[in-house]
Amino acid sequence: MNRFYDVTLRDGNHAIRHTLTPKFVGEYCRASANSGVWAVEVGHGNGLGASSYLVGASSFSDKDLLEAARDSLIPGGPKLAVHTIPGFATIKRDLIPALKLGVEVFRVATHVSEATVAKKHIQFLASQNVYVHGVLMMSHMIDLKGLISQVKLMESYGASAVILMDSAGYFIESDVKDRISAIKNESNIEIGFHAHNNLGIAVANANTAINSGAEIIDGASMGLGAGAGNAQLENIMATRLRSGDNIEIEHFLKMSALVEESYKEKLPRTTSSSTQSGLAGVFSGYAPQVKQISDELGIDISVLWGELGKRKLVAGQESMIREVAQDLMNL
Amino acid sequence: MPIQTLIGPEIWKSQLSKIKVAVIGTGNIGTDLCERMLRDPNFEVVAVIGRRKDSPGLLKLEGRIQKILYEGAQDLERIISLVDGVFDATSAYTHAEHWQIVNTAGKWMVDLTPSRIGLPIVPELIGYVKGMTLSSEHSNNYSMITCGGQSGAPLAYVLSKHARNISKLEISSSIASLSAGPATRDNIDQYIESTEMLMAQVSGVEKVKAILVLNPAEPPVMMRTTVTLAAETTDVNLMRSDLALIVRNVQKYVPGYELVVEPYAPMPGMVTATAKVSGAGYYLPSYAGNLDIINAAAVQTAKRHMEGSQIHNQENVL
Repeated sequence: MNRFYDVTLRDGNHAIRHTLTPKFVGEYCRASANSGVWAVEVGHGNGLGASSYLVGASSFSDKDLLEAARDSLIPGGPKLAVHTIPGFATIKRDLIPALKLGVEVFRVATHVSEATVAKKHIQFLASQNVYVHGVLMMSHMIDLKGLISQVKLMESYGASAVILMDSAGYFIESDVKDRISAIKNESNIEIGFHAHNNLGIAVANANTAINSGAEIIDGASMGLGAGAGNAQLENIMATRLRSGDNIEIEHFLKMSALVEESYKEKLPRTTSSSTQSGLAGVFSGYAPQVKQISDELGIDISVLWGELGKRKLVAGQESMIREVAQDLMNL
Repeated sequence: MPIQTLIGPEIWKSQLSKIKVAVIGTGNIGTDLCERMLRDPNFEVVAVIGRRKDSPGLLKLEGRIQKILYEGAQDLERIISLVDGVFDATSAYTHAEHWQIVNTAGKWMVDLTPSRIGLPIVPELIGYVKGMTLSSEHSNNYSMITCGGQSGAPLAYVLSKHARNISKLEISSSIASLSAGPATRDNIDQYIESTEMLMAQVSGVEKVKAILVLNPAEPPVMMRTTVTLAAETTDVNLMRSDLALIVRNVQKYVPGYELVVEPYAPMPGMVTATAKVSGAGYYLPSYAGNLDIINAAAVQTAKRHMEGSQIHNQENVL
């Protein structure tokens, strides 16, 4: 059976503007204890060391959140996982402290064409006694040949799996199938898939990934995640149950109810704006700043999404949203 | 009265003989440095030293530089007596060895590697920032730190000058993927640490964060650097007028440096500004503003050092 990877407490932090509390982390981790989820990812939406003006400041430190998770997870239950992006996090300042805190799964992420930036971080982690996944973000922004070569680079550095992220929520089902099948034809490395729901088909895309051979599937309770949110974990599990997998669905319903009660006002949904951003292929995490700047400057938000897409911005270029908006006003 | 005002900068400049230099390292940075100084009447590039005969940079320089050499540190030792100073565009790992040769010979060094051995220098801030002086009392090894550092230091200096009780300062740069070579990619942690160190020095702020993002878009994006700080009080108007001045001065040696987002407050107690750097296009394409600014700073530092020592000598004569 597939391994399910819960990003509620990391990608979900985007949806709640990085206000996640150690208290909620603890409650959620306890609720997930017997769910069968393989790992629970915790932290800032952009991962370790990413709390910043550029992408948003966290209410609590990485250490506070990770300790709360570690103290609430049980042996044999979900593993403690983190997301980390070279350029934000460094080995010395972020990875080593996380190792010491007991993190068991590290996902080292780069933009889909920039795997070489992850070399030192993946090599370092591969020499430790932890799981190391490579993550290719914005995986729609490269052709198949390029994608396969980036997967192989991450494999060569020592990653045990490579995760494709549909960070913009741009993929339709054939995109998912074509990419995963092509990688599976060329490599034996484990593949994971991380969907966003901008076009309303994140759960379907997660199932397509499974049917195309992906081993690791990401989801978030109530879809709590950037932009239009992630693939809704309890719905993925419900569809797996219908497909004949042995799933104890009540755990997932409990986890989603916990998120629903705690973040009622913040739950992501597909909106006109998120559909625009999905079609434009822009990173979902930009949503709050795009909304704020388009309101402030009185620009049509769909025009702004379109222009950001044309400029091919990648995750972490939030500071360019205003410049692009100003250019639009000067046209 | 300082010599410069006594006889006027132009006359004074013409009295200087050419600055004789060697460049070690023939990658993108080293080759661009040579091209830049070959076009600059202030410089004479006496030697360029690589490690392999077939490096594309060396082939391009053939016939235009007196000595084209291939034996790294050994060659540096052989020619060191012929030059005033050396630019090191190799790697942090070999820099220490090169510096020892240059130091023993009593010459100056401009370091373009992230070794952090030398004194951090941002030419426009010499004399303004604590510890950023061209003084032979300390060291004649000047470190250019990083491209993000060079592009962000003027912003960090001005913003922090007009803010009180700064709690945190952040610098984020995005550069074109094509302009980030294997050394930058392998040393991304070193890039972040060095840039943070420079920002702390320039702003006096303890809590500093640096971020680097690579963008693979085609056509390649121009480098952008944003500096943001949080403080109890800020004076955005003074920041704007000072920054306009300092940007004009930086443009004298980096023509492609411009302010694209003026200082503004996205929320009370926070100020942010963004600069864009396009390259001058000597050897590298114009999107490589990151490489351009570090090379322009290196050349400017050498000029300033030589001017300084010239003034010093003449003062002694007077």
